[in-house]
Amino acid sequence: MSRQHEIEHYVSSEPFDAHSIEALTPEQEKYYLASQWTLMWWKLKRHRLALICGIILALNYGSVLISEFVAPYNLHTRNTDYIYSPPQSVHLFHEGRFVGPFVYGRDYKLDMDLLLRTYPERKDDVQPLRFFCRGDSYQFWGLFDGDFHFVCPPDNGTFFLLGTDRLGRDVFSRITYGARISLTIGLVGIMISFSFGILMGGLAGYYGGWVDSSVQRVIEVIRSFPELPLWMALSAVLPVNWSPIFIFFGITVILAMLDWTGLARAVRSKLIALREEDFCTAAELMGAKPSRIIGRHLLPGFMSHLIASATLSIPAMILGETALSFLGLGLRPPITSWGVLLNEAQNINVVALYPWLMFPVVPVILVILAFNFFGDGLRDAADPYK
Amino acid sequence: MGSYVIRRILTMIPTLLVISMLVFVIIQLPPGDYLESYIAELQSQGESVDEQKIAFLREEYGLDKPIYEQYFHWVTGMLQGDFGYSFEYSLPVSEVVGDRLFLTILISLVTIVFTWMIAFPIGIYSATHQYSWGDYGLSFLGFLGLATPNFLLALIMLYFANVYFGTSIGGLMAPEYIDAPWSFDKLVSVLEHLWIPVVVIGTSGTAGMIRRLRANLLDELQKQYVVTGRAKGLPPGKLLRKYPLRVSLNFFVADIGNLLPQVISGAEIVAVVMSLPTTGPILLSALQSQDMYLAGSFLMFLAVLTVVGVLVSDLALAVLDPRIRLQGGLEK
Amino acid sequence: MIRSLLKLVSLSLLFSQLISTVNASDLIETEFLIDKVSSGELPPVIDRLPEQPKIVSFSGEFEAGQQGGQLRLLMGKQKDIRQITIYGYARLVGYTPDLSLEADILESVDIEEGRIFTLHIRKGHKWSDGHPFTSEDFRYYWEDIANDPDISKGGPNKKLSIDGELPVVEFIDELTVRYSWSQPNPFFLPALAGASPIYIYKPAHYLRQFHKRYQTKERIAELIDHYKSRNWVGVHVNRDRPYKATNPDLPTLQPWVNTTYPPSERFIFERNPFYYRQDSNGLQLPYIDSLVVNIASGKLIPAKTGANESDLQARYLRMDNYTFLKQAEKRGHFNVRLWSTAKGANTALFPNLNTKDPVMRSLLQDVRFRKAMSLAIHRHEINQVIYFGMALEGNNTVLPGSPLYKPDYQTSSAGFDLAQANELLDELGLVNRDDRGVRLLSDGRPLEILIQTAGESTEDTDILELVHDNWLKAGIKLYSIPSTREVFRNRIFSGDAMMSIWSGMANGLPNADSNPAPLAATSRYQYQWPQWGQYFETSGKGGHKPEIKEVNQLMQLNHDWRMASDKSEREKIWHDMLEIHRQQMFSIGVIAGVKHPLVVNQFLHNVPMTGFYDIEPGAYFGIYKPDTFWFSEVRR
Repeated sequence: MSRQHEIEHYVSSEPFDAHSIEALTPEQEKYYLASQWTLMWWKLKRHRLALICGIILALNYGSVLISEFVAPYNLHTRNTDYIYSPPQSVHLFHEGRFVGPFVYGRDYKLDMDLLLRTYPERKDDVQPLRFFCRGDSYQFWGLFDGDFHFVCPPDNGTFFLLGTDRLGRDVFSRITYGARISLTIGLVGIMISFSFGILMGGLAGYYGGWVDSSVQRVIEVIRSFPELPLWMALSAVLPVNWSPIFIFFGITVILAMLDWTGLARAVRSKLIALREEDFCTAAELMGAKPSRIIGRHLLPGFMSHLIASATLSIPAMILGETALSFLGLGLRPPITSWGVLLNEAQNINVVALYPWLMFPVVPVILVILAFNFFGDGLRDAADPYK
Repeated sequence: MGSYVIRRILTMIPTLLVISMLVFVIIQLPPGDYLESYIAELQSQGESVDEQKIAFLREEYGLDKPIYEQYFHWVTGMLQGDFGYSFEYSLPVSEVVGDRLFLTILISLVTIVFTWMIAFPIGIYSATHQYSWGDYGLSFLGFLGLATPNFLLALIMLYFANVYFGTSIGGLMAPEYIDAPWSFDKLVSVLEHLWIPVVVIGTSGTAGMIRRLRANLLDELQKQYVVTGRAKGLPPGKLLRKYPLRVSLNFFVADIGNLLPQVISGAEIVAVVMSLPTTGPILLSALQSQDMYLAGSFLMFLAVLTVVGVLVSDLALAVLDPRIRLQGGLEK
Repeated sequence: MIRSLLKLVSLSLLFSQLISTVNASDLIETEFLIDKVSSGELPPVIDRLPEQPKIVSFSGEFEAGQQGGQLRLLMGKQKDIRQITIYGYARLVGYTPDLSLEADILESVDIEEGRIFTLHIRKGHKWSDGHPFTSEDFRYYWEDIANDPDISKGGPNKKLSIDGELPVVEFIDELTVRYSWSQPNPFFLPALAGASPIYIYKPAHYLRQFHKRYQTKERIAELIDHYKSRNWVGVHVNRDRPYKATNPDLPTLQPWVNTTYPPSERFIFERNPFYYRQDSNGLQLPYIDSLVVNIASGKLIPAKTGANESDLQARYLRMDNYTFLKQAEKRGHFNVRLWSTAKGANTALFPNLNTKDPVMRSLLQDVRFRKAMSLAIHRHEINQVIYFGMALEGNNTVLPGSPLYKPDYQTSSAGFDLAQANELLDELGLVNRDDRGVRLLSDGRPLEILIQTAGESTEDTDILELVHDNWLKAGIKLYSIPSTREVFRNRIFSGDAMMSIWSGMANGLPNADSNPAPLAATSRYQYQWPQWGQYFETSGKGGHKPEIKEVNQLMQLNHDWRMASDKSEREKIWHDMLEIHRQQMFSIGVIAGVKHPLVVNQFLHNVPMTGFYDIEPGAYFGIYKPDTFWFSEVRR
């Protein structure tokens, strides 16, 4: 062997470590020791669409907290001079010059033949929008007064981003306030059905026997019921003279009652599979009570799955509320939710003459899509086999 | 196999019984009864109310009897084919129902077929070309259908179909054909009107099916036998058709159990908006006017339809999938 | 002087007799029925009409027309086909467009002392199946229905009795029937002329087969089984529903007869071959051969109307559809007209003077509080915002079209005057306010008024929103509580509700001869005093006696009206009652005279350009005689 073909090598001066092959690099250590939640989060980060949707949802729910701030008008503000006014577009350039966000002023003309209100724009009347300003007063979450808004209509002007309805109320503001009800119904409903589903599924899966069969029967009965007719029937039962809050909770309970079955089934099947595992037997032998076994050992194993399924059920609740309000069985005015707004929009006048009143369908679609993609991403992230 | 079938059918019976009780209780829950809401309606229209007639009708309809008696009367009647009496129409329920059951089933079936035809190719494409633009794009379209509230979509489509195609608004056929005997023109008119509800209802179910099919197929595609097949040199198309697809077909059939309730329920609300002669609008007005037996019978019908549909899909699955037969049960 | 007057009268009577007989011989056979006549299935037209048919003459914008055509209508529910009975408006006596009563089915009515009514049936008048219409049909009703212990357990219809006294009914001959009471009964003829009338005649020849007295036991048992009824009464009632038009086999006197057996989405009404009216040219009415009623969801009907699916549509259309319909007019074959509604108020607030809460009750019973609430309503704004300024602002009272109208009734305390409202409320002692500016009651609670709505129209909720803001400026906080109809009514009856919003006087165009009972506490369904009304209705068994002096005055006046001997006395009573309402403001009217859009096929004639559209007193289209509407061009 000639010297120039000698392979470069060195001898380390460090003491010999018998376990060096098995030792983990810091990155590897982080990976293997990470909790299932961290793993999930890492995987989720790589799924860009799910992340974007997650951000959209966070924004939506965030806006629910500060609806009063985001909406240019108060929920009840009426502009009786601007009934059924079409959306006002926001311009940046006026005759070539950059002016900043503004809207054009409008006149009011009543077409007496058609009894149609028209609002021709005055192209010479530039009305700049105000930001971080003082506008309509409101009661923040009904607790304290304020009048600070993100964007306000110009002085002596109007800012109807999505037009107005039959009483001259700003559609954009109403959608913003409506989000409060529509989005929280989904959350509250899910929490109810989640807890109930886990409880029932857990009991059925763990105990087996007659507990299992009776829960299964109940599930089957509920699943055999076509959703909408059951909702219709139950909503017809809700005493309509309850205060809005009670009706709200009544509706969420009704929606949740039909939803927990899917979750319960998933929990049950997983539990049946895992129940025979050694760690479970070990815990039993050590004297753990069933609730501890279920709650501490079995459930966390697939909690991520459950959360993903739950996320995917929220859209169904939102759509359910919308459908019920549409049929006039759910929430009604003066409560404002997206469903109530769509109910007011479902007539031929709106479709033919005032289509901007159908805008609430856009946030509905957006939120539902976002929930679906986010939930998909969560489920993919939670799945250990990918 | 035979014992499986018999077992499934037997478990159906108590389920249906419980459902019937639930249905009846729910119908009775709102305060008052049919006659009270009838009087209220007459009053609000400015028409006169004949108190004597009302008292007579209350007795005639048995509304003065206790609840369990009314329930018993109804259930035993149903088993004999007598579905009770509709106060609103002053006719036996079976006469009011007429064509509507048939049309409900028709629309549900056509919608399911439509959903299959759309979801199947898209699901396969998505699974085999995972994470591609096609995958994302088509899934997005599917989800769009899911997310749009179908009643609003129905109303918009009705209007534009009328403006651009001259289709008469609502209903399943142009008014001239309603009681006319079947003819080619009538068929054309029905098809003209049918596509809107089918598309509207179908789009919401499509997304879910695509997603489930895709997930299932992906699972299959990662299994050992597929890898083996590919290693052995099978062309991808043939590989796909021969193995995973067959397995997914099973799943397809099983999914009717998920799809059917959704389709039926979606059909109800669309029918209300579009004024279709199916069970939806009648059910809604029966619930609102507390026309007890009519509402109850319709709810039972829908529940039975769902249960039978699920049963059929389970049985079909048992036929297709030997694992189920051999294991004697179905763990979903 | 009297003698020449009498001569004039008898001469003109003779003359009109001549005219009638001359016209009767110029009768033209109905084209639609020519085949049936030539095959012998139907007798010729001269035998189908009564000897003295009712002849309709035309003037002004109306003209005699031609026969033919099919009128399409849209209805929201199968039950709505009873509207055809209302539109057809064939009544024993009926109202004319200027709201006077005239004999219609009957040839004439003799009235003596306001209490003895002799009804003369037209000779040769036949039911829709050709069987003669005679006093036997009146007898069957009176003896075999109204006085049959099984069918009418509580005796004949209460509306036929006065002070509990039933009429004495005599059947003088085949063509003459007499109803008599011991006291004047001004309610009898209006009840016969109503949109949903009292039927004192029935097709005896058809109904006999369902009556225990005339049918064999075996056949009755078969029928009970077939109709799934409890007893023979159920079968009889089921088959005998002339108003609902659900039984195509039931003979009728209406211009169109239902030929479709329910249930159906489409009902076809065909012309009655034996209809008793004709026009001045010898054509048997109705002009239109058939009506097609299509049933569709109420919400879709405006869209369908705009798509040309109806030839005559007012039902299920609302003012807010006007713009859409006007735009669709260009593409369609119809024109859109605006008729008026005839209610005393389309929307009114009803303070519940029988509410349970004692503090609120005493406040609501104080006229100053009611006036303050009225003065704080900005009716002009409501009119502009919701009704394009085309409605009438004012109280719940008679409309300008009524001969009893006085501008004061409408406008008194109905203007918008916040200063005065605040003054009145201060006067009542409600001076303290909380931090929202809402006044405090004597026991410290805020002055919050909960108004029940029946949740049916967005109009009511919108009006309440508009009212809310101005009331707040007067220190009153308004909450609207939506309900379903039954719950709404029950809460009012029981006194749980303190105030409600509903429509006002059903008939806003009364004259001195109209029944003033709606102005007094005569019915539970008067939402301002349900329990006092119930007291009257049940003759003291339910509810309780009115406590307010003026309400008792109204009750007395209502009684006096019935006893009044001549028209001027009745008129004075009406004005007294209206004046009490003006002073006391028992209900707070908001808006009246709201317009109602009407879509008419461009080829349909004799439909008035303007009219009033309401069930009472107009029977919707009834008084304008839809049997005289005609198509100048028939759709192929």
